[in-house]
Amino acid sequence: MLATQLKYDLLMFSRELFYLVFTIFVPPATYIFMGQLYGEQSYAGNLSYAQTYTPSFILLITFTVVFFAFGFDQVVHRTTGVEKRISLSPVSKNTLLLSSIIRSTIITSLGYGFILIIGLFMFDLEFGLLSFLTSYGFFIFLNAVLLIIASAIYSFFQHMNSALVFSIVVFQAVIFTGGFAMPISMMPKFIQVIADFNPMYHMNNLFIAVWNGQLTFDQNMFLSIGYIVALVAVALVILRIQNKRKIG
Amino acid sequence: MKIIEVNNLTKSYGTNHVLQGVNFHAQSGEIIGVIGKNGAGKSTFLEILMTIKQYDAGTVIVLDENIASLPMNRLEQVRKQISVVLQPTQFYKTLKVEELLKLFKAYYKSDLDIKKIIVDFKLEPHRKKYFDKLSGGWKQIVSLAIAFLSAPKLLILDEPTTGLDPHMRNMLWSYITDYNKRTGGTVILTTHNMDEIELYCDKVMLINNGVNEVFDTTESILATGYKSIHEFYLKRVSI
Repeated sequence: MLATQLKYDLLMFSRELFYLVFTIFVPPATYIFMGQLYGEQSYAGNLSYAQTYTPSFILLITFTVVFFAFGFDQVVHRTTGVEKRISLSPVSKNTLLLSSIIRSTIITSLGYGFILIIGLFMFDLEFGLLSFLTSYGFFIFLNAVLLIIASAIYSFFQHMNSALVFSIVVFQAVIFTGGFAMPISMMPKFIQVIADFNPMYHMNNLFIAVWNGQLTFDQNMFLSIGYIVALVAVALVILRIQNKRKIG
Repeated sequence: MKIIEVNNLTKSYGTNHVLQGVNFHAQSGEIIGVIGKNGAGKSTFLEILMTIKQYDAGTVIVLDENIASLPMNRLEQVRKQISVVLQPTQFYKTLKVEELLKLFKAYYKSDLDIKKIIVDFKLEPHRKKYFDKLSGGWKQIVSLAIAFLSAPKLLILDEPTTGLDPHMRNMLWSYITDYNKRTGGTVILTTHNMDEIELYCDKVMLINNGVNEVFDTTESILATGYKSIHEFYLKRVSI
């Protein structure tokens, strides 16, 4: 049953132009475009463009897939009545959820490979098996974090339009305050303050550090991890409450 | 065999007391129409029978199970024996008709041949179309075809013929009555079309002011002097 559900989940994703544009085309195109503009510069930690922005754009694809194709999709199904109809079928919620998680992981992994290949061929990114495996493991962890947070956030939405507006606004906010457009240190002070509250900013910094073997156990790292863990805990509590409401 | 037993059912949405003590029962093989004006609580009543809506008080027994106290796994067992057509009917919009049938065949672990279903429901010209692109009538036909994949003991239809032209309506009803005769399955539906009630239903339940004001056979209602169920409805229900 899981294999059948996953097959159709992937098929549905491939047919949604909106998801494809925001997840498969926009981040790699931006990665290439920015590389053409700023490819020669060096960034924090004496890293090259590829060393800094390859993990960043992998994370950006993960964010868009999880928020649009996983979170927003839940709202679409809830508001159009699909969720109600499916709930009347003898398919377990766990099967549906697991399929949705595997679908997101497959698509984001493809995004991972896509950005990596562009980095290798266009920006002279170096490949090391051990660092690849470590980075991929951390990437799966970030996937799980985003899936939990997105699920909790989108569980509040009862209208598709409000969820869509929210998604687009958040996408913009994440790009500018997550360090995906340009280094946060070059941004105005108020953006830097906002960035501190943006979990994607912390995830981005951690992922860049893991990708380049620069993860150091200092105060900043503990703050970032602590903030993410706290958000996940809050999200899990929200999901538990929302699930009870649905049953009750 | 008793399929459904409902006693003194109440359900409110805030201060709106939609159901205020509904009593209802359905035997195996019956076709029962639930009527009432818009907002009377017909859909709420059906959704409670479908086991997807909580209620405030009363007893609801569906297929020998008291649904109020059922753990999720036993509730899923009850749901396996129920099929529904909702209003409006919605499925994954980016799946084609044939793909939807295959997916739901997997959900129901059905032995039925999808090709036969497509032939039986005259879906061949539409099997490659996206569900979202179908007309309202064909959406209802597909929904019914999916509902029959499970060979259900209980079929619940919420306004299945609303918006359909007479041919599509006839087609839908021929499938419903054929299912009822062939399998002895019970059918409960809501509709605003009183001709359909008169033509196809064994019993009628009129929900008015939150209670089942009338629950009787179609014949008995007509025997009391009404020329038609349409006239009965107009006289019993005020705007």
